Amino acid sequence: MPYFKTNTEWYEQSLLLLKARPTTTRITSKYSVLKPTPSKVLKRQKYASKHAAKSASSTGSPAPQSQNPDEPTATFILKTYDPVSGTCLQYETTKGAEVGRLIGSLGRLGRHMAALPEVAEDLSAPADIAGISTPTVEKDVKTGAPVAEQKAGGGGGKKKKKGKK
Amino acid sequence: MAGDHLSNDDFFAQLTNLFEHNRNKSHGTVYLTQKRLTYAEVEIPSPTKIVDDPLWDLHPEKPLPVLIRASNNKSSKRSGTDRPGTDRDNVEKIKLSTVVQPDKLDAFYARYAEACKSGMSGLKKRDRKKGKKDKKKKKAIPGETKG
Repeated sequence: MPYFKTNTEWYEQSLLLLKARPTTTRITSKYSVLKPTPSKVLKRQKYASKHAAKSASSTGSPAPQSQNPDEPTATFILKTYDPVSGTCLQYETTKGAEVGRLIGSLGRLGRHMAALPEVAEDLSAPADIAGISTPTVEKDVKTGAPVAEQKAGGGGGKKKKKGKK
Repeated sequence: MAGDHLSNDDFFAQLTNLFEHNRNKSHGTVYLTQKRLTYAEVEIPSPTKIVDDPLWDLHPEKPLPVLIRASNNKSSKRSGTDRPGTDRDNVEKIKLSTVVQPDKLDAFYARYAEACKSGMSGLKKRDRKKGKKDKKKKKAIPGETKG
């Protein structure tokens, strides 16, 4: 299940999935704060000591503020999942600055879920262009296939849904 | 699934509590889910109609509500071990859900973004070296305040 590099890429692929399967696709966002494991703490300490030694031996550049080894790590993971086709698209970030933008994407995807008409997206246009410029061909192929498959297998999915009701 | 959805206002109040709880504990997880609400809201077309139009759900006649869920992670105390990482407390599972009507969607997400931004305080702060960038042009709704 792919983790996307950029949130625009995640958004675009999620949009495609949502368009193909609007009733079954769900988006789960997970915000988790975890205490680091002992091995992680050790790793951070090692890194910090190595880093300090290196910067001291080379130029006298200001040492970057080292993080507290016991500091908990917080992550924000977005996951678009369609249980019928099994497609799962994920994006992970640790930056607080991205939250607003990501919730904005959730809102726009929510409009599709609600089957509302699309709004003009002039605000996000510059960001989108920056994100589009570097899509890998491999990703496109990988995610293109499931979408096509979903459309073909639509009848099967509907049948299953009927039984559920 | 429990059928008692909260109103949007109650949902935000509880969501804020959920994030606050997470912050006080300084570890833990908050799950947020959104999906189209189809249960008992839309009538499934008859089988013959589905055969005629297998992609019927791509174009419903009227907009549908969206279901939003939020929950924390349940954790149970493990007894008998004192290894690091097992010193956790019992935490009850908290589950919230609300239904957002299509016409309220934009307003809801504006508040939702504010709630999440203030709630997810554990994430990394902006790197000062990069300077100011185009961060907060998306959801700048000053009128919306949450408790």
